Amino acid sequence: MTENVLEVEGLRVHFDTLDGPIEALHSVDLKVKDKQIMGLVGESGCGKSVTSLVTIGLATCDVDEGSVRYQGEQLLFSDSDEDSRVQDISGWIVVLCVMTAILGFLWTVLINPIQGVTVLLASIIVGGLSWAVGFAAKSEFRKHQKFMRWVRGNEISMIFQEPMSALNPLYTVEKQISEVMRTHDRLVDAETPRHIRILQALVSPFSLFVRAIRLSPYVSSAVIGIFAFVTAAHVGGFSDEAELWAFLLVIILPILGSRSSLKERREAIETHLAVTGYSVEGVAVDIALGTSSQTSDSGAQIRLWSLLSIAAPHLPLGIASSIVVYLMLWMPFSALMGIVVICTLLALPVVIILDYLILDPAHTRQVISILEGVKIPNPEAVVRMYPHELSGGMRQRVMIAMMMACEPKLLIADEPTTALDVTIQAQILKLMRDLRDEKGTAILLITHDLGVIAEMCDDVTVMYAGSVVETGSITDVLSRPRMPYSIGLLHSIPTIEAGSERAVLPIIPGQVPDPNLHFDGCRFHPRCPFADEKCISTPPPMMEVEPGHFAACHYTDRTNNVSQVQAAFDRFAAEYELEGAA
Amino acid sequence: MTEESRDGEVLIEVKGMKKWFPIKEGMLSAAKSYVRAVDGVDLQIKRGETLGIVGESGCGKTTLGRVLLGLIPITDGSVLYGGEDIRTIPDRELRRKMQIVFQDPGGSMNPRMSVRAIVGEPLQVNRLAEGAELTQKVADVLDSVGLKREHMNRFPHEFSGGQKQRLALARSLSLDPEFILLDEPTSSLDVSVQAQVLNLLEEIQEKRGLTFVFITHALNVVNHISDRVAVMYLGKIVEIADTNNLFSEPAHPYTHALMSAIPEPSLEKASRRRIVLGGDVPSPADPPPGCRFHTRCPIAEEGLCDVEEPKLESIGEGHSVACHFPLGPGKKLPIIGDDQIPPEDDDNPKTVVL
Repeated sequence: MTENVLEVEGLRVHFDTLDGPIEALHSVDLKVKDKQIMGLVGESGCGKSVTSLVTIGLATCDVDEGSVRYQGEQLLFSDSDEDSRVQDISGWIVVLCVMTAILGFLWTVLINPIQGVTVLLASIIVGGLSWAVGFAAKSEFRKHQKFMRWVRGNEISMIFQEPMSALNPLYTVEKQISEVMRTHDRLVDAETPRHIRILQALVSPFSLFVRAIRLSPYVSSAVIGIFAFVTAAHVGGFSDEAELWAFLLVIILPILGSRSSLKERREAIETHLAVTGYSVEGVAVDIALGTSSQTSDSGAQIRLWSLLSIAAPHLPLGIASSIVVYLMLWMPFSALMGIVVICTLLALPVVIILDYLILDPAHTRQVISILEGVKIPNPEAVVRMYPHELSGGMRQRVMIAMMMACEPKLLIADEPTTALDVTIQAQILKLMRDLRDEKGTAILLITHDLGVIAEMCDDVTVMYAGSVVETGSITDVLSRPRMPYSIGLLHSIPTIEAGSERAVLPIIPGQVPDPNLHFDGCRFHPRCPFADEKCISTPPPMMEVEPGHFAACHYTDRTNNVSQVQAAFDRFAAEYELEGAA
Repeated sequence: MTEESRDGEVLIEVKGMKKWFPIKEGMLSAAKSYVRAVDGVDLQIKRGETLGIVGESGCGKTTLGRVLLGLIPITDGSVLYGGEDIRTIPDRELRRKMQIVFQDPGGSMNPRMSVRAIVGEPLQVNRLAEGAELTQKVADVLDSVGLKREHMNRFPHEFSGGQKQRLALARSLSLDPEFILLDEPTSSLDVSVQAQVLNLLEEIQEKRGLTFVFITHALNVVNHISDRVAVMYLGKIVEIADTNNLFSEPAHPYTHALMSAIPEPSLEKASRRRIVLGGDVPSPADPPPGCRFHTRCPIAEEGLCDVEEPKLESIGEGHSVACHFPLGPGKKLPIIGDDQIPPEDDDNPKTVVL
């Protein structure tokens, strides 16, 4: 298959800033073939991310010219001349009408009511009409927006560099993944229909008791015990003598609670360890909770201190509950009613909303199967976790799962492994390649690491300062680079090969130029050893140096011997002064 | 590696260094547990050499560096500088000998201070120079890192990333120290600029006879710049050796996996089979018992590796490793083909080979 999934042609965009427009991309051409991994490589500030954002219509810049085609469909939108003129004119008329309306209002109040009201009404009618005309002229734009919303996720999706900022910290994993699928209508039919779930949510306060007893049996039974005691005291008529006992109970309650919460914490830690894949025995848990035998050896004083420190956070709660119990003994039924009413008012909406927000079991199973697809260990536990509970690699896997949920045909991965450690990076890269092999998803991999490119890609495009400087298959570009920048970049990376280190690392002198500098010719010429008058005055065309291998350089005939180019770079770097580039 | 540095005197000696950070819950409570960032490290840094420290994030390399400089108090063990405990050396004297270059050059400089003030501040604090003499000294040190005298009145934001890193280096050089700790100095830089900074570091070391400790997560950078390399995992040094030795014959399975996980920009190496470790680095708050790597190690043996902690033992000249089953020239990590992965491990395999 050689069909192109994505074709970007002659893309030129600029950002409007206070210092005038800054051209971020100058004629970018890019082709991603079906089921292929295309690498986009370059240093920071060369326009890799802007290219990808423009492609899926998320960029905040203005497109000057060029086209982005996804399977032949145009993804860039520009209004027809007539439409944009209509929008402009209607906008002006609306502004004028608003000002006239204000004037008319003042006229009504201050000078002549009849004239003023006439002006006011007329301007409101004219303004409303012209706004409607302008709105109608925008229908094409709205249709395109809707289309792009369908394209994103269904056809093209994007993995961002920093998974923590791309995931919402307030929602669980299952919620976030199912949200993507709901938006794109990919969820299976729910097990329980909607109206039944609302009904269930309405009666759910009863389930509150059940859940409370299940989650913390000690505290719940203590609370029920106190209630029973108070009721018994009143029925038996010994409520006055019972006061002291009630206070004692209240003091014991928090300590009981903290004991049981220790137990709950232990269970939570054990589940967490099981999820993260370490079969560590009780020892580690003991250490994590600070309850190991080492600490209990250290004498009675420490034990008292630790008892105090356990009780201290519960003191306010203890005082509050003492007051409640006292009130209950004093005027039992009104206090009980008050407590019940307040608790119901506060808790009911929360309980209903929470219950309604819980996913349908069928949807949860669907999310779990997607997580299994990205090889997350123990997906049943992970779906209920929040992003901060996951490690960096797991987060990136969740991110990939989210993006693969709608089975897109093109995945744009913007530096997916830059924030990860090398061993985790290797896992993620393997996962992405497996997904490509299984599902035939084409990938546009954006990175600054040529090593990742060599590992993953079939084709590669090198960008420098907003334009494409070299493109071709991975073997062509990596073993026979022809653009001096690619050659310099490849050789300035230190290797791990034993004994291969040179005393001085080969360098490209200078740095990437500021994007608001204007160049007539080649943007690389200040750093290039071969640059001459021609390079400064004329931009180099993309020359086909081999079939399917293009390089943007005037002197591709001089760059076919890599070692000669390298020597030229070394000589040039020696002469180069840092100040020259700055 | 040169002969002088091999036989050179020991400049810094680290004995059983531990740094535990307490985890507290609430104001009144005692420490519930400890994050064992550095948990028993012995090191010798010789005068004039570059020691690379590599490891993944969270393995304690930065903490090790900070304790080495006395920036944070040590929990247990000692750091000897020229035979003297650094806790007994007065701060000013210590800073004149030991300096640091931080990871983020922009973040470590006051944006309201000019270059002259930034680079000259250490000199002023130590009352070494003033006025015209200060200006001259700053100009000299700027010149030695490849910046110009004219840059002296500029502010940090006017410089690019690579130049800022040069500036940070100039500041640490201004006191003419003997030892500089480089904490990931190139990880925020682009490749072509990284090469420039690495070359500059080597040049300066040669000129001034400095001792470097180079902390990084990039093995290729360490290979280029270091004489010796220490590999850290979860607060411990698992392997330490001469650079050539380490890269030609890695003995610890973790080093081996780390080296094979690094993507290299050449096609012959990309096609070789790579070992991919499963799982994540465990939390340093509850490190696994026994060998800390056994949860991810493909050759771990039950009953030994998960019970007994291996000691850092010498296996050759200047080459020490903490492993019960060190790999050697005749012993490589077993390579499992895709078809040979046992099916029961399919969900969470310890290693996968590509």
